[in-house]
Amino acid sequence: MASPDFSLSVADCPLIQVDGWDGALGQFESSLSASLGTKLPASVGETVRQKGLLVIRVAPRRLWLALDDGIEAPSLAVDPDLGCSVSLDEGRVRFRMAGADVAWVVSKCITVDWRAPAAAPGRAVLTSLHHVPVLFLRTGDTACELIVPRSFSQSLSDWISGLDC
Amino acid sequence: MSSNHKRLSMGGRIDREQPVEFTFDGRSLIGYRGDTLASALLANGVTLVGRSFKYHRPRGIFSAGPEEPNALVTLATAGKREPNLPATTLELADGIVAESQNRWPSLAFDVQSVSGLFAPFLSAGFYYKTFMGPTRRAWMFYEHFIRKAAGLGRAGSDPDPDRYDISQAFADVAIVGGGPAGLSAARAAAAAGARVALIEQDFLLGGQLLAEPSDSAAAAWLRQAEAELESSETVTLMKRTTAFGIYDGNVIGLVEQRDPTNPQLAGEARQTFTMLRARSIVFATGAIERPMVFSNNDRPGVMLASAARTYLNRFAVLPGKKIIVATTNDSAWRAVFDLADAGADVTVADLRAAPPAALAAEAARLGVVVRAGTHIVDLRGGHAVRRATLNGPDGQSEASCDLVCVSGGWSPTVHLTSHLGVKPQYHDDIGGFVPGAFPADRFGAGSMMGNYSTAGAIEDGHRAGTEAASFCGKSAPAPTPSKLDLGETATALLFEIPSVGRGKAFVDFQMDVTTGDVELAHREGYESVEHLKRYTTLGMGTDQGKTSNFAALASMATLRNATIPETGATTFRPPYTAVALGALAGRAIGHHFKPIRRTPMDGWHMANGAEMLEVGLWMRPYFYRQSGLDVNEAYVAEMRSVRQAAGLMDISTLGKIDVQGPDAAIFLDRIYANGFAKLPVGRARYGVMLRDDGIVFDDGTTTRLAENRFFMTTSTAKAADVLSRLEFLLDTAWPDLRVAVTSVSDEWAAMSVAGPKSRAILSAAFPALDVSDAALAHMGLLESEWQGRALRILRLSYSGERAYEIYVGATAGEQLWTHLLEAGRPFDLKPYGVEALGALRVEKGHVAGPEIDGRTTLDDLGLGRMAGKRTGFVGDVLRRRPAFQAPDRQRLVGLECIEEGKRLRGGAILFLPDEKPYGHGHGRVTSVTFSPERGHYVGLALLAGDVASEGSEVVAVYPMKAETVRARIVSPVFLDSQGERLHG
Repeated sequence: MASPDFSLSVADCPLIQVDGWDGALGQFESSLSASLGTKLPASVGETVRQKGLLVIRVAPRRLWLALDDGIEAPSLAVDPDLGCSVSLDEGRVRFRMAGADVAWVVSKCITVDWRAPAAAPGRAVLTSLHHVPVLFLRTGDTACELIVPRSFSQSLSDWISGLDC
Repeated sequence: MSSNHKRLSMGGRIDREQPVEFTFDGRSLIGYRGDTLASALLANGVTLVGRSFKYHRPRGIFSAGPEEPNALVTLATAGKREPNLPATTLELADGIVAESQNRWPSLAFDVQSVSGLFAPFLSAGFYYKTFMGPTRRAWMFYEHFIRKAAGLGRAGSDPDPDRYDISQAFADVAIVGGGPAGLSAARAAAAAGARVALIEQDFLLGGQLLAEPSDSAAAAWLRQAEAELESSETVTLMKRTTAFGIYDGNVIGLVEQRDPTNPQLAGEARQTFTMLRARSIVFATGAIERPMVFSNNDRPGVMLASAARTYLNRFAVLPGKKIIVATTNDSAWRAVFDLADAGADVTVADLRAAPPAALAAEAARLGVVVRAGTHIVDLRGGHAVRRATLNGPDGQSEASCDLVCVSGGWSPTVHLTSHLGVKPQYHDDIGGFVPGAFPADRFGAGSMMGNYSTAGAIEDGHRAGTEAASFCGKSAPAPTPSKLDLGETATALLFEIPSVGRGKAFVDFQMDVTTGDVELAHREGYESVEHLKRYTTLGMGTDQGKTSNFAALASMATLRNATIPETGATTFRPPYTAVALGALAGRAIGHHFKPIRRTPMDGWHMANGAEMLEVGLWMRPYFYRQSGLDVNEAYVAEMRSVRQAAGLMDISTLGKIDVQGPDAAIFLDRIYANGFAKLPVGRARYGVMLRDDGIVFDDGTTTRLAENRFFMTTSTAKAADVLSRLEFLLDTAWPDLRVAVTSVSDEWAAMSVAGPKSRAILSAAFPALDVSDAALAHMGLLESEWQGRALRILRLSYSGERAYEIYVGATAGEQLWTHLLEAGRPFDLKPYGVEALGALRVEKGHVAGPEIDGRTTLDDLGLGRMAGKRTGFVGDVLRRRPAFQAPDRQRLVGLECIEEGKRLRGGAILFLPDEKPYGHGHGRVTSVTFSPERGHYVGLALLAGDVASEGSEVVAVYPMKAETVRARIVSPVFLDSQGERLHG
């Protein structure tokens, strides 16, 4: 494929990470759900969208709250006996990829089965791109995002852009 | 141009409308689209295609597939050479430039063929026995000459100009092999609703069906199956794709060749390495015909019977006109009939006393001479076979011939199934090995399971495909498979090595292993198949012994008077066929060899004269060109700047970990050798972590941000290892602790302002902040905001000067960096690089990576008092091992060069002044720098504690440059031992 039909754009990706303690997870999730005004994704890889906020369960006791462009971060007051939160406002970059050949591009980058239910629109998968940990977010039939560490972002975007040469 | 004089005017699966030009050994030839290089060579009457590995014997085309041991060629185009490619698998394309191998000056006249005269001396184990003396070093002398004479093919030395790629693929059911069983399995699995990947190494689907006439019922069946699969949305047909290995988790390693006949793909990757993950796998890998063993059985013109039939029916090449077919079984008779039908004069030498009557009757109808109970004893002919000596019930006789087809039965292709530990099991009824019991997610079908009839293979494939799909939860009813009965008779098998003539009888053509070598190995006690393999090099060629293993096994079994299963089977390992290293590398070459990390200030460094250095994955400023002409000049100038005014350093690469939770202090107390529980909020502490075995793991500072929250920094090199270690301990050792650890390395841009004027610079840069000593003491923390972003200022020093580490959100890093430089301009603030950073810390006596090298303890590094009598931390118990207290442990010392005009070097070995500098010495220099403060080179070293003390002299020897320099042992702290500069 000499010139795949896909586009890549790069943007900042403000995140908040929240963790619940083992043994207090139910209480933590109830509290967080109430704070955010939405139910939480039940299992790893599921996501829930709520008014410019995407809640992603990235590990059994860990969630990422990804903010859309221009959305204010919710004020979270996590009870330290239930869990904790840390702002990841600056350290991640969002690669938006879209186009008819995006599945082909993904197959050259990460070990994610585009056609599997686990990678269906709305699902997230923690995986690696060129040995770097990234979060794959399926955003549409021919669109997805990769959330990558900022320090690697130029190297990884070069890697993806180089697929058409 | 040659004439394709062995090409038939009709038939085959070639496109006579599309001629293809190629060259072989400089000779221009013509083939057709649909040919392989081997079929095109045969069509042009080329029978001599290579020379053998050891004896340089002339060799021809032996097979029609990847099992080819003889016809290896080098493709040499556009400055690239790729050796050892089987001509039998090379799809013919315009412009192929092929060369024969292992000959000089020409294929027809090869000087090294004289080695055949010395053959009696070149038996198995020849090197081991001959080149071991007269001295211990004699091998070093011989090796040069042996290496020149040995080897197959010659690789090019230029960079590979081709592109390669790597891809990920997924399937419910992967089917390896596109023959009748594989096709049937694919149809069944797809019909059941599974997502199917059908993998075929050839550029055509069909497997052995391609050896059937192109106008036969088999061809019609194949067309229908292929059309059905091509139209299925759930089936991916992967032609030109070889499954070279099976790995854990049903990962199949594939290499796909680009279609060389399609000019539109010319710029695409030549090969793509695909990792296919399948929920279940059907192996339909077929079987490989076995050769027969007799004298001179390697002569050009000896060919597997199935190969001859393939060349005839698939490529429309009649490879001989006077043909002897030597066989032990029924399958070769199909070649007999087709070759006779095509006009060849055919004689069958069937080792069996009474071949089936129906076969004999058909032979009689076609005018084929049948000689039962007969085998070939010897062949004659140099570059092409001319005569055969046959031995039968009536004694020996001679027969002229231009082609000898052989069939010693079939060996199921069990290589791939063996890769994950499924042991092959011998089955008497087929006289061969088939896979043992499969796990639930793997299945076998067709001749690789010993089911040699086409009708049986199709049924078998259907069953396997259905079961494999069912394993994936796909159970839609599949229609009954369309039948195809080619009327094969049972392959009655007889394998034995009858009497052979006086010439060499080869069991492994590629590695030139003969029956004599097997006998020698047996006489010398190498009876195990694995020992036989290593002693004789049997099966170690690029063909991995695909045609030789069974003959050798049978030969050894006979010699041992044991059965074949008692003799054992060899172990098959990946790769099944040779894989280009370029394919495994894919796109990870050049600047994509590994991912690169860039700090938030990277753009500024690049634009402002920084010479960048790769440190791990990070790009860091090595030095700034405005500081000096080269690194040696620059780092000294940058050191002086820090010591006399102030320097600014990008330290964003430090590992940064957020540690939170009610048990965070307890956790830190357990992972650091020194305590953290009592660290006040707003204070930082230097800490050292040990491994379980008591060796120092990493060091760094940790700051208490709040009662339950800490900010840990690690060394740049160990950042990922430390986080991984912390997560591991929380998950496994202390799951009861309520602690979360998160890498925030990418969150923060970090920079250090160091030097006597650093406080003044901070005051200028942050006029609203109180950075006085009272407000921000050494090891103190100040949290604030800058331009609306979180700001952390830690007063820490690595250089020995008053210094501040400043952390700000990564997106504001470059902005703050330039702001600091601007604010610091009146104070002569200059940026400095990692060379100066390292030199400053050496002067101050701080240990770093060269000292924390995975071998040193706290006591070795002079840090033992940090732990004191504390217990309960990782590494606590084993750090107190007696061996770690031995007086000859190498301990950290300082060294200063005491010879005018000389220098110390990192890695130098330390000896006492009156010692002969030989061996490992008493220690080594770990870090060095020129010290502007001292005016000479100083260094840190690890030196045995029982040989010298402070004030003594040692000799530092650097053999790489033949340098010897005297040095004095001093305190490792070369500067400001009272720490006054920290507060100055």
